[in-house]
Amino acid sequence: MSPPLRPNAVAFISPQNHPILIRTFEKGDELKYHYVAHTSLDVIEERTNGPTKSNDCYLGLLYAMDDIAAYGYITPLKMKIVLALPLTDSVVRDAEVIMTFRALHLAYYHASSNPFIRLHDTPTGVGSAKWKRFRQKVDEISRAASGGSVPS
Amino acid sequence: MQAAPVSALGTLADPPARMVDGAAMDYLLIEAVNALRVSSAVASARAKKIERDMVEAGLVPPPPTTAKQQNPRDSTSSTSGKISGPADEDEGVRSRLEAIGMHIGGNFVERLCRDRPLFSDSLDVIKFVCKDLWVSCWDKQVDNLRTNHRGVYVLQDNAFKPITRISSWEGRQEALKRAKLYVALPAGIIRGALSRIGFQGTVVPEITTLPQCTFQIKLPKNT
Repeated sequence: MSPPLRPNAVAFISPQNHPILIRTFEKGDELKYHYVAHTSLDVIEERTNGPTKSNDCYLGLLYAMDDIAAYGYITPLKMKIVLALPLTDSVVRDAEVIMTFRALHLAYYHASSNPFIRLHDTPTGVGSAKWKRFRQKVDEISRAASGGSVPS
Repeated sequence: MQAAPVSALGTLADPPARMVDGAAMDYLLIEAVNALRVSSAVASARAKKIERDMVEAGLVPPPPTTAKQQNPRDSTSSTSGKISGPADEDEGVRSRLEAIGMHIGGNFVERLCRDRPLFSDSLDVIKFVCKDLWVSCWDKQVDNLRTNHRGVYVLQDNAFKPITRISSWEGRQEALKRAKLYVALPAGIIRGALSRIGFQGTVVPEITTLPQCTFQIKLPKNT
């Protein structure tokens, strides 16, 4: 039995590499995860365009730095999601990470299909302070992934 | 204890599917076209009236230049370039329908792409449009796909759902003219889907005989 994932942060990045939403689940360290998201982009670029490219959306472990491990996911529409997990000795099962990513992608889809968002500024518009639901949903997924109960 | 959190995450990742009646889209399109036709007629009449008032007040020179007649609401679409001719009043409706379609297509493709691997090339994208998008919007796959391998694709559907039931008591020609409005929204959906995938192409619908419809898709060269 592997212990539950405890995500430190989640970053949504648009197809044009604009940050959509960077959400941290611990206090005060936001800048660090902006940095993590930035660094991940290079690795994602390498994985998707490099010689060993695969058609899988799940990119696996991107890199590990100090005490965190960054996992990546890219949708067919080139939207990227980066998940920062604490680096521990326990096994991280891919199936669980993939499931988390799928939940996060669905949250983004629900937020972005809001008809009040204008078509041309969709990717960055979704993460702005106006869209509270998206943030709540992301928090909920993080709680569910770390084993907490989901308030229904 | 371990099972509970995984299943909680599971329901967030794969929520139970919600169903919609298959005929809902048909009804919506029928009503949307009519409502927008009326609305755009009012808008263009208002624009013309303002222009006439301006001319009478001597604020603008009287129009030998008819370029100013553009409907102000048309600015959301890229097809508002040609506005002269007898199809003048239809143009406003068409561009509105296309803009709505683009919004739908763009968001819908985000959902459809959830369970598929990455696209490998543009043909892969077109195949996705022909199969997945077509099936989920119009209940069948495209009947025929032709391409010149340089970015032009012709998708032919022998019984395109939105126009299968259109007829007119004024004869075939009139029915064709009416049907043109009903393929504007589908064209927008295709264009919106393509643009969200990353191809800023053009989509031109064409109807020659009634239940049959072809869409010509032009993708930019360098892809």
